[in-house]
Amino acid sequence: MESDNKLKFSLNIALVSGIFCVTVALLLLLNFMQMSKNKPLESKALTSLVKQLSQEPNSDELKQEIRNFDLLARKAYFNSQWQVKTGGYLLLFGAMVFALSLRVFIGLKSKIGEPDVKDENDMTSRIMTQRWVMITGSVLVVLGLGASFVSVDHLQKYDVNESLAETKNADNQDKVEVIKVGEDPQTVQPEIADSAKNIVAVNAAKTDTATSLANTTPVVAAKITFPGINAIKANVPGFRGPFGNGVYFQKGTPVEWDAASGKNVVWKTPVPKKGYNSPVIWGNKVFLSGADNQSREVYCFDRSSGKVLWKQLVDKIQGTPATAPKVTEDTGFAAPSLTTDGNRVYAMFADGDIICFDMDGNRVWARNLGLPDNHYGHASSLIMYKDKVYIQYDTNKSRKLMAINASTGATVWETVRKGKISWASPILASINGKYQLVLSTDPMVAGYDAESGKELWSVDCMSGEVGPSPASSGGLVFAGNEYAKLVAIDPSKNAKVWESDEFLPEVASPVAANGFLFVATSYGVLACYDAKSGEKYWSKEEGPGYYSSPVIVDNKLYIFDTAGKMRVFEVAKEVKLLGEGNAAEKVTTTPAFADGRMYLRTPKFLYCIGK
Amino acid sequence: MKNCIKISLIFIFLLFSLAGMTQQQRFPKPEFGNGYSQPTPITPEPRALALEYTDVVVLLVVLSLASWMAIRKRSRRGLLWLSVFSLIYFGFYRNGCICSVGSVQNVALTLFDPGYAISITTLLFFLLPLVFTLYFGRTFCAGACPLGAMQDLLIIKPISLPEWLRKTLGIIPYLYLTLAVLFAATGTDFIICRYDPFVGIFRMDAEFHMVILGIAFLLMGMFVARAYCRFLCPYGVILSWMSRFSKWHLSITPVACIQCKLCSDSCPFDAIDYPTDEKQSKSTKWGVNRFLVYAILIPLWIFIGGFAGSRAHTWISKANPTVYLAELLVSNPEVRNDQKNLDVQAFLSSGKPLETLVKEATVIRRKFYTGSWIAGGFMGLVIGMTLLSQVVYRKKADYQPHKGNCYSCGRCMNFCPVKK
Repeated sequence: MESDNKLKFSLNIALVSGIFCVTVALLLLLNFMQMSKNKPLESKALTSLVKQLSQEPNSDELKQEIRNFDLLARKAYFNSQWQVKTGGYLLLFGAMVFALSLRVFIGLKSKIGEPDVKDENDMTSRIMTQRWVMITGSVLVVLGLGASFVSVDHLQKYDVNESLAETKNADNQDKVEVIKVGEDPQTVQPEIADSAKNIVAVNAAKTDTATSLANTTPVVAAKITFPGINAIKANVPGFRGPFGNGVYFQKGTPVEWDAASGKNVVWKTPVPKKGYNSPVIWGNKVFLSGADNQSREVYCFDRSSGKVLWKQLVDKIQGTPATAPKVTEDTGFAAPSLTTDGNRVYAMFADGDIICFDMDGNRVWARNLGLPDNHYGHASSLIMYKDKVYIQYDTNKSRKLMAINASTGATVWETVRKGKISWASPILASINGKYQLVLSTDPMVAGYDAESGKELWSVDCMSGEVGPSPASSGGLVFAGNEYAKLVAIDPSKNAKVWESDEFLPEVASPVAANGFLFVATSYGVLACYDAKSGEKYWSKEEGPGYYSSPVIVDNKLYIFDTAGKMRVFEVAKEVKLLGEGNAAEKVTTTPAFADGRMYLRTPKFLYCIGK
Repeated sequence: MKNCIKISLIFIFLLFSLAGMTQQQRFPKPEFGNGYSQPTPITPEPRALALEYTDVVVLLVVLSLASWMAIRKRSRRGLLWLSVFSLIYFGFYRNGCICSVGSVQNVALTLFDPGYAISITTLLFFLLPLVFTLYFGRTFCAGACPLGAMQDLLIIKPISLPEWLRKTLGIIPYLYLTLAVLFAATGTDFIICRYDPFVGIFRMDAEFHMVILGIAFLLMGMFVARAYCRFLCPYGVILSWMSRFSKWHLSITPVACIQCKLCSDSCPFDAIDYPTDEKQSKSTKWGVNRFLVYAILIPLWIFIGGFAGSRAHTWISKANPTVYLAELLVSNPEVRNDQKNLDVQAFLSSGKPLETLVKEATVIRRKFYTGSWIAGGFMGLVIGMTLLSQVVYRKKADYQPHKGNCYSCGRCMNFCPVKK
């Protein structure tokens, strides 16, 4: 092509693409203005229809009309989005063609001509530059100084006491709803005074990691007895029995049963709402909770007959989110197991609500801890010791361990933890004669002082999304998780004793007793180790997999697979099956044991197994 | 042999792709029956580590080629096509991320926040262009930077700006760099990325005001060449420092300059230094006095800058979301009842006491106080040194590219009649 033709061609291309760009840009602008003016999703017509529905809630025609309108609005919105996106690409393409053709045109037209005479006097230019640089510097200084005059440091004006006074209702009384403080006449104890002292002591300590909040919440002096160690061992105060360790101090539970034939089934009772929490027992009462996206409930069953003694709705709690959080099907709204001290029972749900009832179902207090940002749903169970209820409140936003005053619901302390979100439950491990809370998460297994919340030790050894809770026996702590490792930790040395990666649990927690450690995997392997050395004694693969945690009762290991089949093994170096049972339906919860009987929750029923 | 290499490369590429595909999520996303595809919350989506290293290799290759074309091959056309490749690969394909310009902030954050560890690939994206610049000048700007490439392609009729304007506007990148480092170091924001005018064009998802900004830069760039690179780019500040010490730098002429002056108007970025005018550069008493005054004033500029910065720290720190929220709740307690204020409602539902939030905000503000002293002092130093540079004369006999400001684009080479 000749030079003139090239010139003409590039000019024409530039003109056409330029007109094209202007047209597309105008259309985009029009679309933008239209969208800004009439937001399809904020249509007045739709709003008025919704209002009308509140007056006629049963009108199917109106509902259908709203659905149609909503669909239309959404279609309009997405159509407009498509137009913007497509228009954007067209504009970009047009602009590129325009620029390139213009470049070619100017390139062809331009010629290397006579060099310009430098018309800038160097000295004058330098003086001018100095002047402008000084002006710029001065302007920056003035702006900096001016900023200090126009901005007020509100943080310096913050007064804790004043703020507390102003927000007392909002922050404290509203959130901690003290409905009724149950007062047992026979239980005036000096222990409360001690705990109050402890709270004050924690306040005074104010360590870096443990922030005491006792002074920000109302402490109502409730006088009740908290159970001692023997009482805890005789009951099932929480998930996986006494101290959350999976070891029950019971005898005489049958090793065989069958749901279909009714063999060794004492009673079976339906549970109204769904929940993945496991039975909790005190005295003659069995506690469970259930929930869906509409409501939450706490149940108390008679341990002898299975009769529902009371059922209470969990509602009217200040701060409860208006809509239920998103949870996965296999976590649900009521995954955390309850905890009880024999005086009261405490339940927690996926929306951050925690509630306390007395043993007769009277509400004592309730509060919302804030909606947990948890992509599966909050699942960590409650545990309590003395006068405190402990909550592992790891979320995607923050990780913390909280202690709540069992009598009032007020926060005693909370310890901010490093690491990532986890679903494991805390356990109470006896280390050097003192109970401490042990938690497992990515990246560490750590122990905390049960009184102050202070981190006592921490070993980095975990990874992934940690679901299994730790276990403790013989002064060692055991923890494991799929895609991580199975580890034994000596907390007194703050070090790993041994580790293995052959069989790793995904959901079921490990259990240890009498020098043995058992691990159950989600793909159906039950493995037995020497707890001290990590030597593997045996492993057995059977069934579809284990989600229910293995427990040790009377030197026997009870475990349910997800198909509902129970297997009982002797706690020994050789594998020895002692008996089998069958729930004939899915089992993911962990059974509880009391007075020679086993209590098992299935998706729909609560079973009592015994003779 | 060539075929063997091609097949091997394709095999390796497929291997990496398959490795990525076989990584299954532990808990898969829900599937919808109506064909709805889940939008990704992150743009661009995280890549497999192997692909991140591929990006580093591509950068390395592009930098090597750009340096070779600028220094040895002396090919403007080669550099142009290389920049087109970079625009497509690093810009439109990689959505402008990862980018050396923004990596400054990752480096700053990793230096000041022990809880943040910079990835090795990000570090390499930060370091590789600097190392190349130290040896070959700003060949990164010529061939590897998608932001530069986009502007470079749209230069239509560049105008020459007077020196005083260039020097004055040239202070802005220092200010931008200072603020970017301050904000990154305090964990406040990555402002270079947030206000990148071109990344929205690469991703086609920018907010309206950013689209306007991007288009404005491109339109302005038709006449004021590479306006963003010259008067905003914070990474350009560091590159400019490195380039001044470059061992081999692009030269206008391959051998001796014949003083034909044909190249004098060739640079759209005004980055060609003219030979020194002996008459004007003669040392005068006035010049010496000015030099002494400016040199003495530098510590004063630093102090005044630091002081002004420290006074501004309260205002600057309001950009931090924690500080902003804490101040909002302290100064307007009634905002608690504003259900539409999502930040406030999220904070209230978290259960965190206000006292803790205020403590956190106070710690951040203290960091801003220290940082603002340093930032202000640095800006004072920049002003002082810029003034000093205006009374220092260096003898230049030929037409030469200014090592600090030259983007090694190679336009001037085409104007030089001297060939090897």
